[in-house]
Amino acid sequence: MKPAPFDYVAPDTIEDACKHLTEAGGGATVLAGGQTLMPLLALRLSQPFILVDINRIAALKGVSRTDGGTRVGPMTRQNEIIANSTLAAALPLLVTATRHVGHWQTRNRGTIGGSIALGEPAAELPATAIALGARVEARSARGTREIAAADLYIGPYSTALQPDELITAIRFPEWPAGTLPLFREVAQRPGDFALVGLTGAVTVEDGRISRAGIAWFGMGPTPVRASQLEKALLGQRVAGLDVQALAELAIAETAPFDDHHATAEYRRTVGRRIFARTVSEQLQPRNAT
Amino acid sequence: MSAPQAGTPSYIGRRMPRAEDTRLLTGRGVFVDDIALPGMLHVAFARSPIARGRIRSIDTSAARELPGVHAVLTARDLARFNIDLISFFLVSPSIRIPPLAEDRVLYVGDPVAMIIAQDRYLAEDAAGLVTVDYEEEDPVVTIADARRGSLVHAGSESNVAAASGAEEPDEDLEALLTSAPCLVRHTIRHQRIAQSPMETRGVVVAAHGESELTVYISCQSPQMAARYLSMAFGIPQTGIRVISKDVGGSFGLKVQPWREEIAVVAAGRLLARPLKWIEDRHENLSASNLAREQEIALRIAFDEAGSILGSHVDYDLNNGAYPHGPDSNLAAMMFFWAAHRMPAFGFRARGWYTNTPGLGAYRGPWAIESLARETALDIAARRLGIDPIELRRRNLITKADQPLTTPLGIRLEDITPAECLDLLLQKVDVPAFRAEQAAARAEGRYLGLGITTYIEPTAGSAGISVLSTDVAQLRIEPTGKVSAVLSTHSQGHGTQTTMAQVIAERLGVAFEDVTVYEDDSSRGGFGAGASGSRQAVAGGGASIKAADLLVDKVRRIAAHLLGADPAHVRIQSGRIHVDGAGEKTCSLRELAEIAYGEPERLPAGMEAGLEAQYRYRPPPVTFTSAAHACIVEVDPDTGFVKIRRWVCSEDCGVMINPAVVEGQIAGGVAQAIGTVLLEEAGFDARGNPIAVTYKDYLLPAISDVPDFEYVHASTPSQAEGGFRGVGEGGCIIGPPTLVNAIADALSPFGELAPLELPLTPARILEVIEKRPLSGASPASSPQAGQPSPPSVPHSPPPPVEKPTGTRPTIDGLWKMVLATPMGLQQFTARLAANADLLTGTLQSEMGSQDFTGTIEGNALRWDLKVSKPMPLTLKYDVRIEGDRLTGKVKMGLFGTAKLTGERVPE
Amino acid sequence: MSQHNIQVTVNGRLHTATVEGRLTLSDFLRVEAGYTGVHIGCEHGVCGACTVIVDGQAVRSCLMLAVQADGSSITTVEGLTAPDGTLHPVQQALRDEHALQCGFCTPGVVMTLAALTSGASKPAARTLLDALSGHVCRCTGYQGIRRAAIKLAGEPGAKK
Repeated sequence: MKPAPFDYVAPDTIEDACKHLTEAGGGATVLAGGQTLMPLLALRLSQPFILVDINRIAALKGVSRTDGGTRVGPMTRQNEIIANSTLAAALPLLVTATRHVGHWQTRNRGTIGGSIALGEPAAELPATAIALGARVEARSARGTREIAAADLYIGPYSTALQPDELITAIRFPEWPAGTLPLFREVAQRPGDFALVGLTGAVTVEDGRISRAGIAWFGMGPTPVRASQLEKALLGQRVAGLDVQALAELAIAETAPFDDHHATAEYRRTVGRRIFARTVSEQLQPRNAT
Repeated sequence: MSAPQAGTPSYIGRRMPRAEDTRLLTGRGVFVDDIALPGMLHVAFARSPIARGRIRSIDTSAARELPGVHAVLTARDLARFNIDLISFFLVSPSIRIPPLAEDRVLYVGDPVAMIIAQDRYLAEDAAGLVTVDYEEEDPVVTIADARRGSLVHAGSESNVAAASGAEEPDEDLEALLTSAPCLVRHTIRHQRIAQSPMETRGVVVAAHGESELTVYISCQSPQMAARYLSMAFGIPQTGIRVISKDVGGSFGLKVQPWREEIAVVAAGRLLARPLKWIEDRHENLSASNLAREQEIALRIAFDEAGSILGSHVDYDLNNGAYPHGPDSNLAAMMFFWAAHRMPAFGFRARGWYTNTPGLGAYRGPWAIESLARETALDIAARRLGIDPIELRRRNLITKADQPLTTPLGIRLEDITPAECLDLLLQKVDVPAFRAEQAAARAEGRYLGLGITTYIEPTAGSAGISVLSTDVAQLRIEPTGKVSAVLSTHSQGHGTQTTMAQVIAERLGVAFEDVTVYEDDSSRGGFGAGASGSRQAVAGGGASIKAADLLVDKVRRIAAHLLGADPAHVRIQSGRIHVDGAGEKTCSLRELAEIAYGEPERLPAGMEAGLEAQYRYRPPPVTFTSAAHACIVEVDPDTGFVKIRRWVCSEDCGVMINPAVVEGQIAGGVAQAIGTVLLEEAGFDARGNPIAVTYKDYLLPAISDVPDFEYVHASTPSQAEGGFRGVGEGGCIIGPPTLVNAIADALSPFGELAPLELPLTPARILEVIEKRPLSGASPASSPQAGQPSPPSVPHSPPPPVEKPTGTRPTIDGLWKMVLATPMGLQQFTARLAANADLLTGTLQSEMGSQDFTGTIEGNALRWDLKVSKPMPLTLKYDVRIEGDRLTGKVKMGLFGTAKLTGERVPE
Repeated sequence: MSQHNIQVTVNGRLHTATVEGRLTLSDFLRVEAGYTGVHIGCEHGVCGACTVIVDGQAVRSCLMLAVQADGSSITTVEGLTAPDGTLHPVQQALRDEHALQCGFCTPGVVMTLAALTSGASKPAARTLLDALSGHVCRCTGYQGIRRAAIKLAGEPGAKK
């Protein structure tokens, strides 16, 4: 299990990185934290001509508050996200979800941008980015554009990013005080990809839901936004939520599949259950009236 | 012989820190991949991407041309070695097993070509450039496929690799079962397991000319590996030196060198360059021999009170394409009911060839007996309305029942499963648990308790020549320190510690002053190392006996030098003392210096030096007993299992080092947890492996394994030192313990039947929801409790020619070799013909026996009744051609064995 | 296939080498630098045996390229023991608790625990045990590893 040969470059700037991606004409792969890419290289499932390592680009790192919310540099390591006090206050869901990514050792290298760019359908961060309404800033030699996380994923491991594009920022909108994270992952062992995962943020004002962002992972070929559920929750009193009735709506947009770990029907069944359980355990107790 | 040295601190029974640990904790161990030799090249294999097909052509030209590639070899290049890939028991296979695929590939991962290059990266680059033109065929993947599919091995009569048990249903047993007050049927489909040592297989070979080799290999015994290589290559063992210092686990996988290691050794001889091959994890999970894929249908008849009346087992085992040895798991059948009062038992067991990686050993290869029996007993308990503990008590053989010989001929003298159960129940308050369980159920929480018992044959040696003996060579060096060269070997067992404890205690020296060597086949003598939970018993026994010889010599020398009675001399902490004469003392070093350097001061005629060797033959089998309890909680929403408690009550005799004993039990139980809940080395319908990384082959993590509690019974065995084996037990009793706990938790919903492993969350939720959720295909299950359809012959018809009309010369002395699954048995027979009547006398280790038989042309048939290992009638069917004979011997339940022989000139 | 000159400090000693872009850090440490205590168990980042400390962070050395370690400072299991042979407290705790059998996964376990306990304040047992879920041990059932971790933790309790 040794990688096939490739050329390796480690540019210091975004501009240089974009230049390499353009010149490679689709033959390049971006190396971020490498915690998923390196196994693919070792198994020779990925055989790029050139590997563009973006670990030396300082501009891609760090967390900052902006006018409309929080900007997270894509090369911010997952353990840095977990330890970041700004994120703990502004985006507790992101911190909770990141704790479930891989293992402590892989989170020391793994990055938020790498996970979001890969688009593993059973991974925590792509779905969480969707739930939180994040937008991804993509840069290429051609220019810069923003893609809503909800529009980013078009198939298994397949994103709307072009081969010459690099994620240069992940922008999270402001979620007001009184927003509660909902998170539950059903996985056989810590660090495994989810059999079923639910991630969401719900804002409650005066006992009523004023805003909701909810997504599933491990429940389809891409992370799945529960948009019908989000709409149905708006304006509802938390204490009076009929979680059993909402559970069917919650999984309405999912498209899980059978694999050797579980069937689609298992995933739907457990999806309904953990939705109900998560709302009743994580949302309702704090909004008893 | 001497008793243990009185007054010396006792090491046996102490939790001594391990001698191995310092080097391993500091990264200074020596594993095979740590070996680098000047000029060493690296090997990678090009492997088949299809499960079955014919090789039309292989093009290696592009691979050869890659800079840095030294050679690309295929089967043709290795043909001149005439390699014989024998079994662990050193028996030649009946099928052809080439190190590299010849004209056909038989599983995905079958090695087709080997690349030898400057480094592993280049070797893998070149492997990708080997192009093979295959004519693909539909593979035989499952046992069901093997029953009806085409032949895996062209030229064989069927896909049955091995068979044992009764060929036809026993009418009396069938009548008993069908008329019994309660008949419990239970079916299990057990998944394929990857042994998964953290260190994969690996080998480094350096050939020194045609007949001399140094081989570094990850193995279970350098002695065994050297003997195996010698036989596989047909070169003298004296020219082969096998070195294996640290091994990163094995669990049965490395019990013998196999195709890839053998191919590397052959290539090393061919190229005359040192070569290294380290299996990568992808190869390990997809192309190494795997274990355990099996199906069992068990029937047990009970009377109303829960006493067992009879039982029948129908059993099938996937042998893959190239098993380490063709296997129908006779051991599982032999020990199935060995610890129970069982009036009537019958079985039929078969191993099947398929287009998947071969069957290898895995910790407790016969473990299915405990899984099937113990899970079925709990089902029976629920059906009969009898407490599962009570049901076991009614049927277990207790101390008071012994000695006795079971109907299958197993002699029991000191098994203690019932007593282990009593001890277990002192630690587990079952009534309190039942109350907690009832209260939890009222809240919608589901707790379960599983309790099991078993016995395990450890250090079994009867009739298995490679496991018969172990040797210890001890030397008190001139410095007074002790070197021990043993035929034990550790893949994590800690024998450098435990054997040193035994030797230090027995000699009366400090533990730190004993160094154990077991890493080099050129030091010491043959022994099979780790296999069948044998090392404490066999290696420990040899160490005691050799130490006693040395003590005896020290006493005689000391008595001579100090003017004392040898009976009054003792060694304590490395000093010689004479009882009642405090002034008469010297250090062991002073005595050793004289023994080596001034032999004239020794008693007249005594050999110089302080060296002793003892080859120990342990009892035919030493039983370990145990009872385990496990408490789980099942989440009814997700089907997830949380293990809340696990208690192990076991009797492994005198413990050398309780921390090592508990480590062995814990490791086995952790593997059991993996087997029940997580692990599956599955294949799709085309024979493609679906778990080829640790992302898909799920091993237990720290969060999956609870803290284990232990109760030790410690009934001394009859082996030297009183030890019993403990290496495999946890992996045998663990699975049914956990399954029973889960089944108990699920009992309000229904039975886990058929039992399909692993019990994924989906499978468990299926029972709760009573609807299909796991995607398991019922088509692949064996027919529950039904005798299998009789369409396939039970055992392969033997390759015996029709008798010819002409009668050869029969009279005379014949030397014969019987290839039994347990190894070759040699004997002679004197035959005499009188018209169509044959008379003869058979002479073997067991004695001599007369027989009569019939003659038809060149065909001879006779029956021989034997009493060991159990009463059996052996049916001989032999053809004579000139001075040679060939044939088969039907050995009742033990299946059929090939017989060959030749005339002894007189 | 590009070649790169790198300088890496391993266990306090500077190593310079010219490496191919594809060479993994684990292979560099074992083969080029000679630290065979770095064990390769899976080469895809799951088993944890190859864990080393790079610039203070415990990482899988099979999931980094050697060229990425240019300019960094690395500690392997060989670098923890005192010059006089005294074991590191993590090594001593694992030895005392019989936390290893075959010892193949052990260097990785040592490095994770050493990285987490290197600071002035000791982390909670929960933190150590969570991090240990990133190591596979096939021999011990984790019994001694868990005992050692709890012993090394800053506060008692918080088991499992």
